[in-house]
Amino acid sequence: MKEEIFVAELPNGMVLLGEPMANVASASLLLAVPAGAAYDPPAAGGAASVACEWSVRGAGLRSTRQLNEALDALGCHHDQHVQSEHVLYSAAQLGRHLPEALSLQADILLRPRLDGAAFGPSRELVRQDLASLADEPAQLCMTRLAERFYPAPFGRCIYGSDESLASLAAAPLRDAWRRVCRPEGTILAVAGAFDWPAVCEQAERLFGGWTGRPLAEHVLSPAPRGVLQLTKDTAQTHIGLAHAAPPIGHRCYYASRLAETVLSGGAGSRLHTEVREKRGLAYHVASHYHGLKGMAGMFTYAAATPPLAEQTFELVVAEIRRLGEGASDEELTRARTQLKSALIMQNEATGARAAALASDWFHLRRVRTFEEIARAVEAVSAGDVVECLREFPAADFAVVTIGPEALDTSGIADCGTRIADLQTEDSRAAASPNPQSAIPNPQ
Amino acid sequence: MEFRHAQLDNGLTIVAEVNAQAASMAAGFFVRTGSRDESAGLGGVSHFLEHMVFKGTARRSALDVNREFDEIGADYNAFTSQEATMFYGAVLPAFQGRLLELLCDLMRPALRAEDFALERTVILDEIARYADTPSFRLYDALLAEHFGPHPLGACVMGTAESVGAMGVADMRAYFERRYSPGNVTLAAAGNVDFAALTVSAERLCGGWTPRADGRDSSAPPAGGGRRIVVDSDLLRQHVGLAGAAPSAQDADRYAAMLAATVLGDATGSRLFYALVDPAIADEASCAYDAMDGTGAFLTYVTADPPRAAEAAGIVREEMRRFLDAGPTQEELRAAKNKIASASVLKSEVPMGRLTAVGFDWLYRHEYLPLERQLADLFAVSAEDVLAVARKYDLAATTMVALGPAERL
Repeated sequence: MKEEIFVAELPNGMVLLGEPMANVASASLLLAVPAGAAYDPPAAGGAASVACEWSVRGAGLRSTRQLNEALDALGCHHDQHVQSEHVLYSAAQLGRHLPEALSLQADILLRPRLDGAAFGPSRELVRQDLASLADEPAQLCMTRLAERFYPAPFGRCIYGSDESLASLAAAPLRDAWRRVCRPEGTILAVAGAFDWPAVCEQAERLFGGWTGRPLAEHVLSPAPRGVLQLTKDTAQTHIGLAHAAPPIGHRCYYASRLAETVLSGGAGSRLHTEVREKRGLAYHVASHYHGLKGMAGMFTYAAATPPLAEQTFELVVAEIRRLGEGASDEELTRARTQLKSALIMQNEATGARAAALASDWFHLRRVRTFEEIARAVEAVSAGDVVECLREFPAADFAVVTIGPEALDTSGIADCGTRIADLQTEDSRAAASPNPQSAIPNPQ
Repeated sequence: MEFRHAQLDNGLTIVAEVNAQAASMAAGFFVRTGSRDESAGLGGVSHFLEHMVFKGTARRSALDVNREFDEIGADYNAFTSQEATMFYGAVLPAFQGRLLELLCDLMRPALRAEDFALERTVILDEIARYADTPSFRLYDALLAEHFGPHPLGACVMGTAESVGAMGVADMRAYFERRYSPGNVTLAAAGNVDFAALTVSAERLCGGWTPRADGRDSSAPPAGGGRRIVVDSDLLRQHVGLAGAAPSAQDADRYAAMLAATVLGDATGSRLFYALVDPAIADEASCAYDAMDGTGAFLTYVTADPPRAAEAAGIVREEMRRFLDAGPTQEELRAAKNKIASASVLKSEVPMGRLTAVGFDWLYRHEYLPLERQLADLFAVSAEDVLAVARKYDLAATTMVALGPAERL
């Protein structure tokens, strides 16, 4: 089946992407606005999260309730959330309801009411999200890990801190949101049952008059990396590690994805085999690739009961390092099949496909076909994998642990170690490297 | 879309919804067994057994099993609930034969003592993982309070004590009793070659010996208790409410689903406007759980400890208001549209249809095409929804709270 991918660009810089899918009744849309947490002013962490929550409390001529009623009447499954680089608005519905859904999303984006009265509850919900994070050590561990791995403002707290949230006020945030929401770099992706000329015509009408000014480039500060150990009376010791990987578009990118699959792609992968299957150390151990523009990491999470945690940690590090010696032909053959199968099966849902279109455009300024990806995966040799891991070695780790006692991490700690008691730590948190985000892991 | 059905002489049922246009196929074994079928002292054996199934068979080691799934690029897993254990995989159609070969063999696991001992530590770690997740702790505590001594009140994973004391002989006996072919359904969906599927199943499962495989599915007495679990290490207060609801076999299940959606869907529901919109709680939801011979409305709220009592009071107030007048026509229409489009979206992936087809058969021995399901849903009136809410007395709930608050 020949894939058909449509691309159009409005004069104001907004990009429209579409991929029709046979045999589906639904159409999903994703609006990716380059206004994520990385754009929060340094002292105003959480601003994007609060603005995102605020933006769906009434838009255009509709109140919050009228807006929800209009979306519900379409049977529209809608969501909005904040990532490091983007604020994402997604909506999935039957294809025949796509035009109305798009029109409502345009109201949310271009004409949010941002009423003074709705500001307080919006901020309060984000503060509660932040508090909930502290009750979930697994989430907290990976959140802190992203913060240590990526240079600020990337990887930084999407919820901000209690202090930064308290410092936000309605009027400045309203102005800031109107400035940061801009057509340049905004992507509208549609997948499923739809008519492309009609989508383009409608998008032109809805978004053609949208204007905005470019924002200054991010100024990056170095990532802290190193080891952070938080002591807390938890049932498991939660362990997160991250090290650098090639960003999408890099010549080693596909070799790196193959290496990731050998390490953690399935139950037959090395981590699962060595940590869980052979030794029964941990229920959950996995690595996943996570990429931002121009930078990426391999994020590994494992959790074990405290008496087994140190052995688990050492084994995980040893396996990540052993990967640098290369993988067998048998392992690579398996990994290729896994990646190609996942590529097709993960893209059968219209929502997933819309997100993949947007992700490709953001990272590459084009959309790859399945055929292109499959060919690239097929072309990776054993030597390519070794070369990739030589260029991106298992070194300069960021490590975060949460558990009753600190672990001995001297085997990897080439940076400083910091041990803090969780109860006395401040409540900062970072954008989670959760691969289930709406702009997904690139494939 | 075509429904196909077959039964082996030993009682194993095979059902499939064939969609020749799909890019992949999914298949799974649905076993009618779970924690409600466990005898006292064997808490968690169903879930532990689910893990042991992947530890290999007479012909395969655990490492073989894992490697073979990866070789065919399968997206596969298994899960255990109170009343079902499911093993499934999705693959590209070319790999159907190898997926079936593997799944069928797994359903007669070796249950080796050394694998059992090693996997026990994995289970204990999984139990510890739940202990670090407040929503899971609340769920277990809520069902325990709601169903009391009935097996539905027991934790699916068992406890560190029950799993620690379990022997492999106990598990083997449980397996013999519960994985009898009459208690197992092989379901498939998507781009399925049904003729080849039945040939595989006949060859690989035809020799299974049938045994008695009943279940006591009478509705347990439930409800009414209150319990506060104090954990001063938590920052948030987690509150759960459980009430009686129609069973998975009851035609009222559509009305129950609509009641839960109007009351507590994640967006645009009554609890959303009463609690999340004003930020009294950051999460407030109500779900309908259809079970074998019984059912439950499960409501969750997460709030700051000082406002938890107020939040729980608002939930009860909303439930009473629902009992007074039921949903408005607008609310009902929106709820139907939301459920219908969620079903359509789910059905566009073979795995989504696999669970629907498999569980419809497991619970009701029937095949319900999506169109029929949607027609039944749209036929429900506001009066029907109100009648169900009243029949089960929506506001008569068990309540459990978890968090730092000592009183609620």
